[in-house]
Amino acid sequence: MRLLLVEDHVPLADELMAGLNRQGYAVDWLADGRDAVCQGSTEPYDLIVLDLGLPGLSGLEVLARWRADGLAAPVLILTARDSWAERIEGLKAGADDYLSKPFHPEELHLRIQALLRRSHGQVNQPTLEAAGLHLDEGRQCVNREGAQIQLTAAEFRLLRYFMLHPDQILSKGHLAEHLYDGETERDSNVLEVHVNHLRRKLGRSVIETRRGQGYLFGGQAR
Amino acid sequence: MRSIQRRLSLGLISVMVIVGLVLAQTSLWLFEMGLQRYLEAGLRNDSENLLVALVRGPQGLQLDERHLAPAYQRPFSGHYFRIDFADSHWRSRSLWDQELPRLEQPGLESNLQLGPEGQQLLVLRSDYRRLGQSISISVAQDYTPVRESFLRMQQVGLGLGLSGLLLILLLQRITVRRALRPLETAREQIAQLQLGQRSQLDDQVPLELEPLVAQINHLLAHTEDSLKRSRNALGNLGHALKTPLAVLLSLASSVQLDAHPQLRKTLKQQLEQVQQRLNRELNRARLAGDALPGALFDCAGELPGLLATLNMIHGEHLTLSYRVAAGLQLPWDREDLLELLGNLLDNACKWADADVRLSVLETAEGFELSVEDDGPGIPEDRREQVFSRGTRLDEQTDGHGLGLGIVRDIVDTWSGVLHLQESEWGGLKVLIELPKRT
Repeated sequence: MRLLLVEDHVPLADELMAGLNRQGYAVDWLADGRDAVCQGSTEPYDLIVLDLGLPGLSGLEVLARWRADGLAAPVLILTARDSWAERIEGLKAGADDYLSKPFHPEELHLRIQALLRRSHGQVNQPTLEAAGLHLDEGRQCVNREGAQIQLTAAEFRLLRYFMLHPDQILSKGHLAEHLYDGETERDSNVLEVHVNHLRRKLGRSVIETRRGQGYLFGGQAR
Repeated sequence: MRSIQRRLSLGLISVMVIVGLVLAQTSLWLFEMGLQRYLEAGLRNDSENLLVALVRGPQGLQLDERHLAPAYQRPFSGHYFRIDFADSHWRSRSLWDQELPRLEQPGLESNLQLGPEGQQLLVLRSDYRRLGQSISISVAQDYTPVRESFLRMQQVGLGLGLSGLLLILLLQRITVRRALRPLETAREQIAQLQLGQRSQLDDQVPLELEPLVAQINHLLAHTEDSLKRSRNALGNLGHALKTPLAVLLSLASSVQLDAHPQLRKTLKQQLEQVQQRLNRELNRARLAGDALPGALFDCAGELPGLLATLNMIHGEHLTLSYRVAAGLQLPWDREDLLELLGNLLDNACKWADADVRLSVLETAEGFELSVEDDGPGIPEDRREQVFSRGTRLDEQTDGHGLGLGIVRDIVDTWSGVLHLQESEWGGLKVLIELPKRT
């Protein structure tokens, strides 16, 4: 899952980046509204966390431009201005959720998790379910037929992305774009290694390889 | 303060009545005096005729009957005389059995009563010397018809005066009303201002009212402006404080503190207290309250957005509905009302299983807002605590127990009343009665 964080307060951004990275999200960070307009509509983000009080261009304006450009990614607004009038304005501009500062980091993680599931048509349950697997995002482990299987951070990221996109053919390039932030070197061999690790832990049939196309998760469940 | 109209009427009436009465009475008195002078001349003539009729007869003085006017012979004819000598007196036959009293001194006297018919007499006494005797002749004339016609005149005059007064009052009322119409218009506009139907007074007013209206408009604009500025400043302050607070909260949960659970707990507690206090005070400071008279909340325009926002926050499994009369507008500041309804509905959504309903009713006394949910409700004995400061009845669901405190603040500012009841679905019903703004 690749996230864009737009926040001009550097200490808060550092904290949020660290927390989100621990949760297995690849995060790009921007502090200026004008950059955000540009990068938000060109990079394939799965979710955007947007602060409203930005230099350059206000968050609401940024959001309105994204939506006008047809950006479909869910946007979570983060702001200290928490009156209902402002919330309504934010949601009218096209936000999908609203979190007012200050907040507990866990609350932000839960909201992001819920928003991601909602945007992929999944119901909000304690665990993420797909193809007979139950993924516990808080503890980063997976449960299959009652047996708990531990995952490394990289495996967790990959599996979560697969589970949010079941029955879809995902190319290596697509996966790399969504699993790594803009500054990480993308090496498709590393991806293959992680897919193999997942197959070893969860069974070969969980992830099919479609030659020349990419990977298909959960295909056998049909 | 009494109305200007009434003051003017009262002043005018008293002046008119006093002046009218004095004028009428004086002119009547002057007229009567003139008439008496005229009658006096006649009486003097009569008395001189009597004097001429006094002739020396065989037994001293006697009255020559031929020179007497016939009216002196007919009883109670209205013309009388009395002639006093040194030791005796004569009376006219017309006096019949009545006595015409002799005046103390020569001159005219106008209020003598005489006879069974109670005639008012005008009496003139003149003293003469004739044939070596001093003679005093009193001549009297019935004055009643004159008096009666005076009385009639007085009545007619009074009637005319009264109707004149009424007419003048009516005209004055019309004039004053016309002159005061701009004031009345301003008064109506201020009432509309209170009801939120307009935000400024019309500045097309007469010269005298211009400074007043201009000042009111200026004040309104100033209030609105300073409210906007203070809201903005509070927003900035909130932003400046809350962002570092978010950093601190995040730091308090960081792994570095895993080794110091006690420290982490204290940090979190204190930060939460700061946060709660900050939120509550900032929100309270944002309230417009009664400061802006021109505020208006259009239910049909605002509620769908609010409900959509809540649905987005709480998920689509909740059915949020509202019942509002078409075109209903509430005379309070938009942001205040959104804050009130937002917090109430937010709380209801946290507890509800599937349904939340907002109703706004206009009653004779004001407005009734109610928010109902189908959640577990609150037992009657615990309802009191919900709104008291610092209680957190919604601890079990996310949120910080702050919303309802703000609801109470807002309702108090508007001098409304808040009731907690059981909803028809078994959950909580929060009923708020707001008095109309006057």
